[in-house]
Amino acid sequence: MTALPDYNAMSDAEFRRTVRTFVETNYPDIPRYSLSRLHWDEVKPWYMVLSEHGWICPTWPREHGGMGLNAGKHLILIEEFERFGAARVNDIGPVMLGPLLLKHGTEAQKAHFLPRILSGEDVWAQGYSEPGAGSDLAAVRCEAVLDGEEWVINGQKTWCTLGMDANWIFILARTDKTVKKQAGISFLLVPMDAQGVTIRNIENLELEAEFCEVFFNDVRVPADHIVGRVNDGWSVAKALLGHERVFIGAPRLSAAALSRLKRIAQRAGAWDDPVFRDRYVALQCDVLDLSDLFETYVDRLRDGREIGADVAMLKIFQSELYQRISELMIQVAAEDAGLRHAPEGDRQLHAAATYLSARPTTIFGGSTEIMRNVLAKAVLELPS
Amino acid sequence: MDGSMNEDWQENARMIVESARAVVPADGALDRVRKARFDGAGFDRAVMQQAAELGWPLMWIGEEAGGLGLGLRETCALMEVLGRGLVPEPVLSTMMAGALLQEALPETVMTGEAVILTAWQDVTGALDWQGGAKGDLLIGTKVNLRGAVEADLFAIVTDAGLAVVPRSAEGLTIETAETLDGGTMDRLHMTGVAADFLPCARVEAVLQDATLAHSAYLLGLADRALEITLDYLRVRKQFDRPIGSFQSLQHRATEMKIQLELTRAAIAATARRFDTGADAATRAAGAARCKLRAAELAMLVAREAVQMHGAMGITDEADIGLFVRKAMTEANLFGSPRQQRRMLATRLDQEEAA
Repeated sequence: MTALPDYNAMSDAEFRRTVRTFVETNYPDIPRYSLSRLHWDEVKPWYMVLSEHGWICPTWPREHGGMGLNAGKHLILIEEFERFGAARVNDIGPVMLGPLLLKHGTEAQKAHFLPRILSGEDVWAQGYSEPGAGSDLAAVRCEAVLDGEEWVINGQKTWCTLGMDANWIFILARTDKTVKKQAGISFLLVPMDAQGVTIRNIENLELEAEFCEVFFNDVRVPADHIVGRVNDGWSVAKALLGHERVFIGAPRLSAAALSRLKRIAQRAGAWDDPVFRDRYVALQCDVLDLSDLFETYVDRLRDGREIGADVAMLKIFQSELYQRISELMIQVAAEDAGLRHAPEGDRQLHAAATYLSARPTTIFGGSTEIMRNVLAKAVLELPS
Repeated sequence: MDGSMNEDWQENARMIVESARAVVPADGALDRVRKARFDGAGFDRAVMQQAAELGWPLMWIGEEAGGLGLGLRETCALMEVLGRGLVPEPVLSTMMAGALLQEALPETVMTGEAVILTAWQDVTGALDWQGGAKGDLLIGTKVNLRGAVEADLFAIVTDAGLAVVPRSAEGLTIETAETLDGGTMDRLHMTGVAADFLPCARVEAVLQDATLAHSAYLLGLADRALEITLDYLRVRKQFDRPIGSFQSLQHRATEMKIQLELTRAAIAATARRFDTGADAATRAAGAARCKLRAAELAMLVAREAVQMHGAMGITDEADIGLFVRKAMTEANLFGSPRQQRRMLATRLDQEEAA
């Protein structure tokens, strides 16, 4: 692979054209505009194309094999991929673990794991949540005990998105039960093929196995499979990149859903109904106003300004808006809303698919209720 | 837009906001606003004099015509401050007159001797402005002027052009009605007022500017009302705890904050588009969208503020009530949310065709 050009030096328009050409030229023969996540066996060709061109880790520094994109250019890349309908790859390695290792990993960890993410050799899963530790994540009970030169892990993780596709998982494990719960957690790396690891798939409301549970029964990993110091896992895990916290509130999901709503309404003969239009234009204004708010955060990223706790407003509003759009879809679809399969085999026209795929957005990545708690205290300075 | 222009507008906005301190007390005191209620037109001519001295009626008059030639970003910054202070004076209406009349704005308005109001709206509940002219006479009605009983001049908008007439003009009568905020909402009845019509091609554009500017007033109003309410949530104790520690109130407060920031972002982005040359369709949709959001915001914050103030919220002595009454009076000017949605819904077919 030859050295990549300095994409940040390009004009936005030039970079946009570059991305557009790239995706149109290189996208493999796999589904586009999929409403649900594709599994590794389906999406791997796209991952490998991105890998071969050095495009799989857009935000990593160039010296570590990334594209080194700044926030503005990264947003353009995302927008163009979504405009084309490119499938989302298994991106927990590129998006979450890579940046974590770059910040907290040892040189040996970086040298070993980063190239394997870049090449697609390793596919990562996230093991944070447990049956008793969801919003209250610091309550994790999955336990790791140091036995000589090895950690011995016992417990359970759940809601591991595409975990069945992964060959590695990073987990938050309890390594000290005697201290405040946040202070007794460590960040460990575990191969999925280690003895004692078993998984069980969980079907979601769309009857697809998008996530799984992972069980650890006397699983042994080397002592150096820890990121950061022992009992420092909580602060390691919290250090999500500023711009990921912004992009999770991007208006794209809602904007795309709104255009599907229009198609569904047209097909249902509701497009000219003034009762429908009253609701539709209100949602359209919501999407446009969200876009204007989102842009203020992108501007902050571009200018290198801090992103504060107030960024949670984006995700709260975008996820609830996405759901409200899907709720109007259900009304417009009328009695067809309950049909299991998409009309004309077109999932874009399937109100139920959008409705169900919109449900997790207010739950994962910080539930709306938790984020409102945070906003109330950190931004509105309301008392505890 | 280059960086220097960007800095220019920010510096202008900063200076205008600073100058507004002459009219809006920095500590947010509302004594003047409270006293001015239910007394004639509900506004203070001395404040309008100050506004003229600060050049506000010249805001939208081009520099070549002797005005300030400022844009919507500066205007919205000013209007937001006025909204925070619940300033009852008809500043926006005089700015509209300046924008419409340009160099024809009467000298007495610039000096502050005279107050001019813009009379554009034909009927309540619609945004039509074309009526009022028959031949070379003004015949018809213009509605929803704030404080017309105290104005000296009217800039009357018709499809035959603009006419500037004094309040004392033959054939002009004013029908006044008190409003909740302590001002008036007045109608001009014109039964053959002699007038010279000045041609004006900018009416739609000025109405869009004013709609956006009025949205900023509502934003300021809501912002201050939310601040007052949050202060109350922090100090008011029940069950030995500040009521702001209760999750049900916290979550409702965050919803107000989100709506507020959406409004702020929409107005800022739309003002920037206006200032950097948006086309007519973008302007119309942008003004409608901001007005829709701002009106809904003001009404949301008003009703939540009352509830969160408990029984204090339903007294006239608590300042929060001033915000509620102002929101109810002002939220539907330049079109209610229903009207904005109707307009936007009608435009869907034009989008289709385009």
